[in-house]
Amino acid sequence: MATQTKHDWADDEELEETTTTDLPPQQKIQNKDGTWTIIDYYYNEAGNKVKRTRRVRYVVRREVVNPRVAERRTWAKFGDAASDSPGPNPSTTTVGENIIFVPSVNWRKEAKDEANDPNAQAMKDKLKDKKVKCRICNGEHFTARCPYKDTMAPIGEAGAVDPAAGMGDEPSAAAAAATGAAGPGKKGSYVPPALRGDRAGARGETMGGKYGERDDLATLRVTNVSEMAEEQELRDMFERFGRVTRVFLAKDRDTGLAKGFAFISFADRDDAVKACNKMDGFGFRHLILRVEFAKKAA
Amino acid sequence: MRPILLAGHERALTQIKYSPDGDLIFSVSKDQIICVWFSHNGERLGTYRGHQGAIWTIDVDPTSTILASGSADNTIKLWDIKTGKCLQTWDFPTAVKRVEFSDDGTKLLGVTEKRMGHLGTIVVLDIKLDVEAEQSDEKAMTIVCEESKATVAGWSYLSKYIIAGHEDGSVSQYDAKTGDLIYNIPIHELNQSITDLQWSQDRSYFITASKDKTAKLISSRDLEVLKTYPADTPLNSATITRNKDFVILGGGQAAMDVTTTAARQGKFEARFYHKIFEDEIGRVRGHFGPLNTVAADPTGKGYASGGEDGYVRVHHFDRGYFDFMYEVERERQNRLAAVVSA
Repeated sequence: MATQTKHDWADDEELEETTTTDLPPQQKIQNKDGTWTIIDYYYNEAGNKVKRTRRVRYVVRREVVNPRVAERRTWAKFGDAASDSPGPNPSTTTVGENIIFVPSVNWRKEAKDEANDPNAQAMKDKLKDKKVKCRICNGEHFTARCPYKDTMAPIGEAGAVDPAAGMGDEPSAAAAAATGAAGPGKKGSYVPPALRGDRAGARGETMGGKYGERDDLATLRVTNVSEMAEEQELRDMFERFGRVTRVFLAKDRDTGLAKGFAFISFADRDDAVKACNKMDGFGFRHLILRVEFAKKAA
Repeated sequence: MRPILLAGHERALTQIKYSPDGDLIFSVSKDQIICVWFSHNGERLGTYRGHQGAIWTIDVDPTSTILASGSADNTIKLWDIKTGKCLQTWDFPTAVKRVEFSDDGTKLLGVTEKRMGHLGTIVVLDIKLDVEAEQSDEKAMTIVCEESKATVAGWSYLSKYIIAGHEDGSVSQYDAKTGDLIYNIPIHELNQSITDLQWSQDRSYFITASKDKTAKLISSRDLEVLKTYPADTPLNSATITRNKDFVILGGGQAAMDVTTTAARQGKFEARFYHKIFEDEIGRVRGHFGPLNTVAADPTGKGYASGGEDGYVRVHHFDRGYFDFMYEVERERQNRLAAVVSA
């Protein structure tokens, strides 16, 4: 009753016509490789006849369910769904875009890192390629930008400044150091006490860098990792050598595929050495892993 | 994971329930119809028509034969799940905001709204779990909430207590046999309404969601707050997942403010927290409006969320979800494995 009154005369008569006109029947052809080709015709919203060819592979997946559940799957549809054919009706049920959801302990931090990542990476790459050396202090900056430009003669007691200390292992720190170094270049601009000439070498602890207390001594860099790799697999592989404190697998943010490199931190450096020796050249998936100790980013 | 989008409703979703076997999903919305879907592929099994107003709430009995719904047309209706037939209608003076079957399905509670001079009440109805049976018209018990109206309520383990969440942010515990108030404890911030109450599997504890931007895990016996999950947005719903120790919170700014902000700022995401460590471990985007309801699959394989945007999104978790463990959990598991193999 309800379904009959629901059909309104105003609900386009045209539709009624088009569906009754002679659309060629659906064709199903089995292909040699076991797939099926389904050809059917329909009218699109603009009223044009459309031929649709689909290649479909049927996969039978057996699932054991509770008999109650199995019985319910045989129930007849009712109400507004009474006229639906078996299977989901595309007008009410669609499949959404893929969502990558992997729970993670430091979810908040990672989301932030991802946002910074492209810039940070670009900065790193830039710094990697350029080998800039200061003529005054042997630091990795232009001579004109040297904080000791005014106080020191070229190539004097450069040992007073450890260039590595100024260049932290984090891009943010590097950037900070760079701006700090740039500051004194301009005359009269303010230089924070911590970055002033006499103390620049003795930089204090950084607060919460990207990987706060990362111990680079026991961290391995693994490259040539298959893009299908999962953190868990890497963890399993490396846990054989000792306690793994951290596994970081760089992943593409959009596709969720691995980017091809990973960092593995061990609790113990000896384990790391063992793992490095054993796993370098190890065949994983279709690629050969390259394992080396992570260098401090310059 | 690719969520399945169910577009059976034309207005905002109000509640979603899984059947106890996890194979059916019941959804109700303000558009006056109830839909039932198969959870594995999103196929619609049917609809239940008959309500004359927005439907606020729905519940399935433990045997999945009878459905109860409460609506703004001041009725509770019982339905035959298989055929979609309405079995019984009870009339009340005001709208019904929440219904829930007891553990064994022999009792149904309903929370009625405070309006037009009527105080908010919690009514208890006796149910015969048989499609053929004649249901009694009489209420078995009525609890009147004089202080602050109840917004949500449910049955504790063994139907021993009725637990209610109130508009003023307090939670009370009533004796389910006599209807006497045992405790009333201010749990959430004062006058921040409790919007949802969902049970753990054994009903010994439950989770409440509140407009005060927190969800809390509370024990049924003494209403002790076990855990608190802070969020950055008013919450509409919270649920406890099975098999994994997580909770899922749903919320977003109030529906009336939605048009003034972009979807990105609206915080229309399902938030996953670790149940024990209280850390936020991830979010799932997708809705265009606030999430009004979230429900966890009793089999632990997925969850469904319903939004102000009228969509139900059914998610089946990927491997990464099942693999996720804290370091301590992993170590414990390794230790246990070592003991077993030794």
